[in-house]
Amino acid sequence: MSTTTAPPAPPAPDATAETAGPSGRLPFWVNQQLGLFVLVIALAALFGLLRPAFFNAQFVLFPLLSDISTLTVVALAQMVVLSVGHMNLAVGRMASFGAMFAGLGYDRLHLPLILGLLLCLVAGTAIGALAGWVIARTGVSSFVVTLAMDFALLGLVSLLYTALTDNAAFTTTPSGMAELRSYSLADICAGPICGSNAIPQLGQFAVLALVGLGFLYRYTRTGRELLLTGANPAAAELSGIPTGRRIITAHALSGLLAALAGFMAAVSTGSFRASIGGEFMLPSFLGAVLGGTLLTGGVVSVLGALLGTSLVDVIRKGLDLLGVGLESLNIYLGGVLLLALSADRIRNVVSYRKVVRST
Amino acid sequence: MSEVLLEGREIVKVFPGVRALDGVGLRLEAGAVHALLGENGAGKSTLIKVLTGVHPPDGGQLLWRGEAVRFRSPLEAARTGIGVVHQERNLVPGFSVAENICLQAPPSRRGMIDRAAMSAPALRCLAEIGVDLDPQTPVGQLSVAQKQLVEIAKALFTESRVLLLDEPTASLSPQETERLFEVIRRLAARGTCVVFVSHKLEEVFAVCDTVTVLRDGQSVLDSAPLAQYTHDDVVNLMVGRAHTTAGLAPRTCDTASPPALALSGVSTAAGHRDISLDVRVGEIVGLYGLVGAGRSELAKAILGLDRIEAGEIRVHGTPVRINSPRQALHKHGIGYVTENRKEEGVFLEQPIVRNITVTVWRKLARALGYVPAKEERATAADLVARLGIRISGLQQLAGELSGGNQQKVSLAKWLAADTRLLIVDEPTVGVDIRTKRAFHELLWELAGKGLAILLISSDLGEMVTLADRVVVMGNYRRLGETDNDHDYEEMSGRIIRLIHGRPEEAVAPAERNPA
Repeated sequence: MSTTTAPPAPPAPDATAETAGPSGRLPFWVNQQLGLFVLVIALAALFGLLRPAFFNAQFVLFPLLSDISTLTVVALAQMVVLSVGHMNLAVGRMASFGAMFAGLGYDRLHLPLILGLLLCLVAGTAIGALAGWVIARTGVSSFVVTLAMDFALLGLVSLLYTALTDNAAFTTTPSGMAELRSYSLADICAGPICGSNAIPQLGQFAVLALVGLGFLYRYTRTGRELLLTGANPAAAELSGIPTGRRIITAHALSGLLAALAGFMAAVSTGSFRASIGGEFMLPSFLGAVLGGTLLTGGVVSVLGALLGTSLVDVIRKGLDLLGVGLESLNIYLGGVLLLALSADRIRNVVSYRKVVRST
Repeated sequence: MSEVLLEGREIVKVFPGVRALDGVGLRLEAGAVHALLGENGAGKSTLIKVLTGVHPPDGGQLLWRGEAVRFRSPLEAARTGIGVVHQERNLVPGFSVAENICLQAPPSRRGMIDRAAMSAPALRCLAEIGVDLDPQTPVGQLSVAQKQLVEIAKALFTESRVLLLDEPTASLSPQETERLFEVIRRLAARGTCVVFVSHKLEEVFAVCDTVTVLRDGQSVLDSAPLAQYTHDDVVNLMVGRAHTTAGLAPRTCDTASPPALALSGVSTAAGHRDISLDVRVGEIVGLYGLVGAGRSELAKAILGLDRIEAGEIRVHGTPVRINSPRQALHKHGIGYVTENRKEEGVFLEQPIVRNITVTVWRKLARALGYVPAKEERATAADLVARLGIRISGLQQLAGELSGGNQQKVSLAKWLAADTRLLIVDEPTVGVDIRTKRAFHELLWELAGKGLAILLISSDLGEMVTLADRVVVMGNYRRLGETDNDHDYEEMSGRIIRLIHGRPEEAVAPAERNPA
């Protein structure tokens, strides 16, 4: 599903541009996704070795995978706008905006679970499309527009919660939500064989998003046009790509995914509150960029968003189990992330030298 | 014999999969104008980067006035006395001329930049090359040629004894080029060695004394006096085989059906007034003019990127209103091969297959927008073969290709979409002789097959080779039109007369009273 093209350019891309021969490829092990995958597995094994409790399905793996599911969708929401070379600073607030509509639907209209989710997604898509439309129309940078959007939504969402609820949360939950929150694959059985009780059913949304975006970027015209719009907007416009429309598409999709993540966060905490999504912004960039999506646009990795998010969450959970306090946990987390990102760079440089020496 | 400033012996530079430089020798003497020639990909740019400390050499030796040196950064090379003016402009547009010239070592007082003290050295450098510019002008307001001169002044500020000019004339008009040559000669006269890189051999022979020719990363001619060689000798050395200049097969265009594109009395928001021209099916119409004549702007207005304020555009006889490039492409079959291929033509960081098929996804797409990868690859592979694009695979990034091949890729996407009218803007700027020739044959052949081509070019030779008719533009107006008889001398005379507003009958009195 990964749509990444080549690994990051070697130290002298401009020079190779003139002279690159047919054998200028780097070896397969300089692959960011593969590296991340190995790192996630190795770290999980290490934590499991140090604290066997790490592999406790019910109390560790289940919540861990729930978190990973939600944050993967958040990372995907960011990745979609990064693919057109934009960013969405309002990703968390769009999540809370969407979730608010779901809560409102359950509380006032007594909608069934699925219709509430649909309302949430529609609201998220609409607010994302609005951001995209403003950007495409005015040409103001996405940074500014989504930053403004973030503040506006912050105020709007808290105002609405205060006006509509007693203690800043919708407490009515539709039937099925508790199950969605606590059920795992163990609750789905095909005859005598049941799934693992470590894998939450909430994960289905993340899988759906991953498959959907994988298809979009790998196989469809829209996906390709999003990437080329990000790679070079001027050339895209001159090549007949409706760049304005693609920018709106990207932001609308981002809003949709953010709202989905907001819904998932609400389900896993059990209530629809204004504070949902408050901590989404940094993980959204972290997951996407660690996974190999370029900040400059044009290159995305759908699978990478999952792997990047997994890496961050595994480290967080593992250090937590090792008894590292919250403050120092963040220091370690920063250190490990820096290492992970440099490891990628080191792999690149080493393999580049190796290729050079062999020529 | 004059002093040798910089000497390279057996220089080797390796990139993954390729020996970009493989034993290059070079001797730069004080007071000489040294030509560095070679086709695209021969290693000229890499050699310049090694000489200026951007890349450390992987083998060989660099000698500065007889002593071995090793530059670890461009700054070290600049301090030693090697200045370079790159193909890409490296000025800070928001800064003034003086600030740009003094950028490397701005005069300062107590740690603060001393703006007032900048003007004097800036003026001195500008005076040295005989340029009259206000040092306080922001660089963003200067013309391309003026920026070029500021870059040279900047190199003088660091007291460069060796000055490398990479394709300095690519975007200059003939007059501006002549002025640049005066500057080059003046610099050489005071003992600087100027290294001149250009694809235009006429210019090389006009200004250079010595020559080094690179081919496939090796120097096939090492610092030889240019006077001993003819034009053809040099071309043969560059290409590595006898270069034939066979004519192109004759071609006829369709005069019966309405023109593929006809403008009548078109005025645009960009400032064009009353432009009329038409391009028939199977015809190549040249649009000639100096830089800034408004030719690319006219192309963009035709594509709907600028407002048409008056007049009419007809495509195959039907009046049209084009609002966007995609309408031009999908509805009217008009393609535009841009002048600035790196910024507007190709997607450098994207695979070749996407670069070529971008215009046809709409056609290939099935339900849900699914584009079958197989058909996509087939389309791209077909064009790669047809245009003879040299690639290692369809997934190779376009940015890894040489300039000529990139240009072919940006042409390929329009051929993939079966366009019926192609606007080709400066197709061979910065492209070597062999590729240029191949490109000319390609355009000629496409026109022969019924494609209508509007060719925008500042290269008079290219116009004379390709065009059936030449429309001359100046200052956003149409100055006139002339049929092409493929005779360079005759045509250049006619076109220059059109540019200077002296139609044929008015030539005689004007010549008696030269302005």
